[in-house]
Amino acid sequence: MMGVGRYIFLFFYFFNASALLAEEPFRTFTAVSGQSFTARVLSYEGQTFYLEGKDKKLYPVPYNQLTTNDQAYLREVSQQGKIPIGDPRKLASQDTMVDNSTPTASSPEPEVSMEEPVDGPRLMAPPKKKPALRPGSFFAYKSVNLGQDPNLALEMKSGGPPKPGEPIDFSNHVLPILEDRCFSCHQEAYEKNGKTIQPKAGLALSTYDLVMKGNLDNTVVTPGDVEDSYLHEVLTLDEDDDMFMPPKGGPLTTEQIDIIKRWIEEGAKPKAGGGGVTDASGGISFHDHIFPILEERCLDCHGEPYVKNGRTIHPKAGLALDTYEAVLKGNLDGAIIDRGDHEESTLYAVITLDPDDSEIMPPKGDPLSPEEIELFKKWIDEGAKEYPSDVFERPKEEKVAVSLTSVADSKIPLVDQLGKRLSKPSKTQIDVASKTGALVAPLSEKHSMIRAEFSSGPSLIDNSAVGALSSVQNNISHLDLSRTKVTDSVMGNVKKMKNLTWLALRNTEITNQGVKQLKGMQFLRYLNLSGTKVTDDIVKDLSQFKDIEEIYLWNSAVTDKGVESLQKALPNAKIVF
Amino acid sequence: MKSDLKTLDELSRREFVASAAKACLGVGLLPMAGSYIHTPAHAFQPGPRPAKARHLIYLYMSAGMSHMDTFAPNTDADKDSYQGPVSPIATSADGVFLSENLPETAKHMHNAAIIRTMMTSQGAHAQGTYLMHTSYQMRGTISHPTFGSWIAKMSGPINSTIPMNIAINGRIGSSGFLESKYGPLPIGNPNAGLANSKAADYLDQTRFDGRLAMAQKMNASFLGTYDQKQVRAYTDLYNDAIKLMRSEDLKAFDVASEPDAMKDLYGRSAFGQGCLLARRLVENKVRYIEVNRGGWDTHSNNFESVANNCADLDKGLSALLLDLEMRGLLEDTMIVLVSEFGRTPRINGGNGRDHWPYGFSAFLAGGGVKGGTVYGKMDKVGRNPVDGKFIDPASLNATIGYNMGLPLSDVQYSPSGRPFKLAHDGEPLLDVLNT
Repeated sequence: MMGVGRYIFLFFYFFNASALLAEEPFRTFTAVSGQSFTARVLSYEGQTFYLEGKDKKLYPVPYNQLTTNDQAYLREVSQQGKIPIGDPRKLASQDTMVDNSTPTASSPEPEVSMEEPVDGPRLMAPPKKKPALRPGSFFAYKSVNLGQDPNLALEMKSGGPPKPGEPIDFSNHVLPILEDRCFSCHQEAYEKNGKTIQPKAGLALSTYDLVMKGNLDNTVVTPGDVEDSYLHEVLTLDEDDDMFMPPKGGPLTTEQIDIIKRWIEEGAKPKAGGGGVTDASGGISFHDHIFPILEERCLDCHGEPYVKNGRTIHPKAGLALDTYEAVLKGNLDGAIIDRGDHEESTLYAVITLDPDDSEIMPPKGDPLSPEEIELFKKWIDEGAKEYPSDVFERPKEEKVAVSLTSVADSKIPLVDQLGKRLSKPSKTQIDVASKTGALVAPLSEKHSMIRAEFSSGPSLIDNSAVGALSSVQNNISHLDLSRTKVTDSVMGNVKKMKNLTWLALRNTEITNQGVKQLKGMQFLRYLNLSGTKVTDDIVKDLSQFKDIEEIYLWNSAVTDKGVESLQKALPNAKIVF
Repeated sequence: MKSDLKTLDELSRREFVASAAKACLGVGLLPMAGSYIHTPAHAFQPGPRPAKARHLIYLYMSAGMSHMDTFAPNTDADKDSYQGPVSPIATSADGVFLSENLPETAKHMHNAAIIRTMMTSQGAHAQGTYLMHTSYQMRGTISHPTFGSWIAKMSGPINSTIPMNIAINGRIGSSGFLESKYGPLPIGNPNAGLANSKAADYLDQTRFDGRLAMAQKMNASFLGTYDQKQVRAYTDLYNDAIKLMRSEDLKAFDVASEPDAMKDLYGRSAFGQGCLLARRLVENKVRYIEVNRGGWDTHSNNFESVANNCADLDKGLSALLLDLEMRGLLEDTMIVLVSEFGRTPRINGGNGRDHWPYGFSAFLAGGGVKGGTVYGKMDKVGRNPVDGKFIDPASLNATIGYNMGLPLSDVQYSPSGRPFKLAHDGEPLLDVLNT
């Protein structure tokens, strides 16, 4: 009875599986030798695909015997999991246990020829074992050019272990590991004794492109995501696991695994300038389109620091453009790229200046061609991606108030965190806000938070002037009303500035009544009440600001006693009186 | 003198009109200030980074302050031939020692940082002062702008009525190849306020307005014919000067209105009152204020002179730090105290110290400064750093510029087309800043 139950289970299992895996349509496959036939793909195992002809016969066809078009199609269906893995006859044999129908014809020879492939894989010799040199042997020394720092040069030459913090380079750091430990099985197909030796599991790791391509099952590297990268997973499996790699010679060292992990985390980049995918369909990317321009026109001045005649030559303006990270980083004066907005990007601005302008880049030679400039523009507008596959989303526009919990990272200054959540106010908005004599300006060139202050002739400023700031009220983080003629009723307008972090009411007529209205301003960190008329009664209200950092009460009517109890309520705040 | 000679042969049209106005209108019309006030075309420009400090009070110890007797007592050095009779005292910052000459300043050390490995390439006063102020070496062919002029040029005014670059107790340097409005406006005596800023007694409001109207009438046809930016700028110049003359902001210069207790707190010395004026100007949002204090050239009788100077210095500096903090202005204001070079660690035959460009000190305090920090340590003889690296004037200026959010890599061109930067090739020393 138990046996019957199992068969039924199997039946359902298979039935379900075939229901999930919809049958692929018939199409015409073409072999590299020129023959073509109509068939549909049933399943695959390793490098062999099982095609079913119109005559219901099964043809196992080696992957590399088919044209690139067919290969792309098969790669797609297999990577998307549309077809099962395994010999369909074996899959069917499970079936037969239920319905006892006869299996399909026994292994017919495929009609396509198995001859020498024309458009087949690049043939290369199996990897040579490195000659083992006696320690200290003359041949073990590497030559270094005169005038170079020998240690530095040697490191670059030998591709030694990456220094802490140094970005991982595929050719220098990752490839040597693969070469040493993986190539013996995962080398590109090569000829040996008249036979073509295919890489195991259809996975070749000999170049950057091949590593990124993965095999028919899937890609093995997901840039930036170690968890999702099979290459890393198999290295870190339990050693008893069947899939543990490398199967022979013991596991990789932790340093080696770490290098691969870091390489993936850093976005699995190829060596700068070499390798990589050059498909433009995914949009403009730094690696494929921008870097070659930079390399030709910019790196003479904006490359990495180097030593010349004993002097270190730093990149001009402290701006290096030799890596994607460096370009994004900009220099001490800030970023040169505003992802998604070429008009705000200094990099775009300097290459589009008038050719007579002394600031134009590059300063020597012709300006960049219109096509090149267009590439930069598109690249920035598309989010300044490093690879075509990167996804960039512009931050969502305008959120009025931010909940306190969402501002959790204490390492980033509060105003910067608030600024990231708001869009930059327009020039018109700022002009409207400035009409009443206020100096209204962003905290820095590209900051979306604003400081509003009344610096010239403050005695002419009254409550109405503060009302005029309403056009930018969500963006105001710093408000200075010192020495103005504002009164308590101004607080109605101040309270609307939800993201206010810094408020100076120094030497104004503000009293307790006014300050009480500030209740609930969660981002307030600095409050200057020196020279105002506040008294001890305000202490209770001020105690509510648990996150406040500085309170100034000098020259106000608050007494020592009041300050003492305030300090007790706010032990971390700096209270000056 | 140098710059005066230079200006002799080329009186610009702007200056000509200003002088003409002075003569025609019968008022001083701020012979200095008029040309320093920004025109509306030049407004505040935010920097590339948010500014940690928006005002700079630059206390310049002219003629080479002895660092070992002030901000860098060297306890390792031999007492008789090096450190002399001056002993170190503890400060409000753990493990930081100042000389006993600065007892009040020591109470503010938690808000301040000291760089003890300053080094300059210039061992003579004029050249050292020039390098410290401009970040460039003195050259016969060009006049470089001072750091204050750079600030005025690169970030513009916060208060649009008052000049943005003010030098108290004597002016050092000039706006160089930048427009003269960015240069330092000198205030010779802090108690006297801004010279020539008042209309003459006999000139009441009606007569003044009448004269102005007449001047405008005479200008009208010219303005109509040549309606150009430069021509309009002259009108702006009058308007700005008159705006300041009538502005309440002019009171910023009026140190006399301070209560006596405040004047006493700062000390009644020129330096103390200069610091008091500096504080008033910061309240009125002036960008750059330099207070000069000379008398540090102590080749002989060093210890007595330094102690005397320090009495003024300590009082003024500590009062400034205290006053700014009480008013909540310290976090917006950076205070820098420096000299063109230090003085020899080894005491000379006349009980004095000579010029020493290695390992002298710069004192930084206020907004954005990492309080209680000491950067660098010199060896026993004060010749080489045993900790930290040498910091040159350009790097000190870069540090200040970085803290103030100014564009360090922006290039300005001299008339002959040569490129210059705010802090030359200086690299900011982030160790002394809160970043």
